[in-house]
Amino acid sequence: MIRFDNVTKIYKGETRAVNGVTLNIEKGEFVFLVGPSGSGKSTMLRLMTCEEKVTAGDIHVAGKDLSKLNSWRVPYLRRNIGSVFQDFKLLPNKTVYQNVAFALEVIGRPENVIRTQVPAILELVGLEDKHRRFPDELSGGEQQRVSIARAFVNRPLILLADEPTGNLDPDTSEELTSLLDRINRTGTTVVMATHDRTIVDSMRRRVIALRHGELVRDEQRGAYGSETDSPEALGVHPVDGASP
Amino acid sequence: MSRIRYFARETWTNIRRNLTLTFAAILTVAVGVMLVGMGLMAGYASGNALDRWEGGVQFEVFLNPQIDPSQLDALGIELQTHPEIDRIEFFSAEEAYALVSQQMADQPELLAQVSPEALPASYRVVPRSVEAELIESLAAQFRQRPGVMSVQTGREEVDAIRTWFTSFQGIVLLLSIVLSGASVMLIFNSIRVAMFARRREIEVMKLVGATNSFIRFPFMLEGMLHGLIGGIIGAIAAGALRGHVEGLFSRSDILAFFRSFVVTSDQFTTVVIVTVIAGVLVGMIGSAFAASRFLDV
Repeated sequence: MIRFDNVTKIYKGETRAVNGVTLNIEKGEFVFLVGPSGSGKSTMLRLMTCEEKVTAGDIHVAGKDLSKLNSWRVPYLRRNIGSVFQDFKLLPNKTVYQNVAFALEVIGRPENVIRTQVPAILELVGLEDKHRRFPDELSGGEQQRVSIARAFVNRPLILLADEPTGNLDPDTSEELTSLLDRINRTGTTVVMATHDRTIVDSMRRRVIALRHGELVRDEQRGAYGSETDSPEALGVHPVDGASP
Repeated sequence: MSRIRYFARETWTNIRRNLTLTFAAILTVAVGVMLVGMGLMAGYASGNALDRWEGGVQFEVFLNPQIDPSQLDALGIELQTHPEIDRIEFFSAEEAYALVSQQMADQPELLAQVSPEALPASYRVVPRSVEAELIESLAAQFRQRPGVMSVQTGREEVDAIRTWFTSFQGIVLLLSIVLSGASVMLIFNSIRVAMFARRREIEVMKLVGATNSFIRFPFMLEGMLHGLIGGIIGAIAAGALRGHVEGLFSRSDILAFFRSFVVTSDQFTTVVIVTVIAGVLVGMIGSAFAASRFLDV
């Protein structure tokens, strides 16, 4: 589903964000991407969605060779990939329902599909009662669930989550991870970049550890590990827009 | 269906959010394309007025309405047999009236004041020479003949008028280019502001895989709408201007000379089409430029 062959990404000829990474993620896997800030986790995710281009090496995502992908094909690739972020990226002037429907609307899905898909996905994430609320009327955990609903409403093959629990308290983080786990059980490949030691240790899923852009560990049933220790990794770094 | 509703909603939100800049852009387009229309009409009007002097007609011998038929024939024979004259053409009072009524087709109230009897018949004379001085002396020979009301050589006037209209058109064209450039920049900016205001939406759209053309379309539509509205206002203004100027010419005796400077309704239709298309084009260029610059994958 996702294959990196000796991938290197250098920003502006200076920093080596990703350095010679080779890995293979199969369909239906749940993978934690761990490592301190600046270890290249986000860059890896951005490379998968074609937001960044590789400097060297090859990436295959959902059967497509990204280095050979025409720029006009990129949107179609992204329809197979759902993305979730630490800061949710919800539209504040739209309701929960509208935020989720927007994702289908802008890829030209017909109205009857939107009318059936959106309520179904809101039920899956447990927000069917709050579909008329605006994002600022929801808790951080609820907002993140809306953003997961938006990422998953088009039933993508892959779900990428970049520190989805970074702004949330431990209990909420756990709920959210179990939601991602449920999505994973439907056959969706989930890649989650995280600093959250507790979650990684409790889930016992595949762990890929990065340090200075290099792959330092890849374990099928891994734990958070010590190589990722750093002040940021302990979860004491300041976050913006913390949950209410 | 959901697509159409989406585009309509997005475009309307953009316009509402950005009212002052939209207004400025539309007005600039309107003035710019009005100038385009004005230049076009000036070209048509001078062309219509000068038409009668072109095609080899070099001077015109106007006859007294009460001219004796024998005098008319004698004059015709003399003109025809004159060694320096190539050919002549008789233009009856009815034909003169037909020409005037064609030119005033959409101003029946003015036409009603002209009677066919009041218009003089004339001989249009094409001399062999094209030199202005020779034509002038030739024309002078016929000025004192019985039955001749007047002889008009048009060469100098025609040249003067043509020069004047050409430079007028040049100035108008230059102004319209400047204003169209300003309109493109204003639309460019108003689209840029609209895109900045919606940068979160655009980010999400890219994230979930909306195509670039889908993201751009509401903005292009908005720019085109600015251009279209500006074009329509400009065309209306050009129409008002035409009516005003033609009214001015017909009321004033001093400006009576300009009465033949009219634009036919067919020509005015062309002017309207051109101004509206120019407006839409300006809107398209401005918004396409903005959309392509600020929307990379």
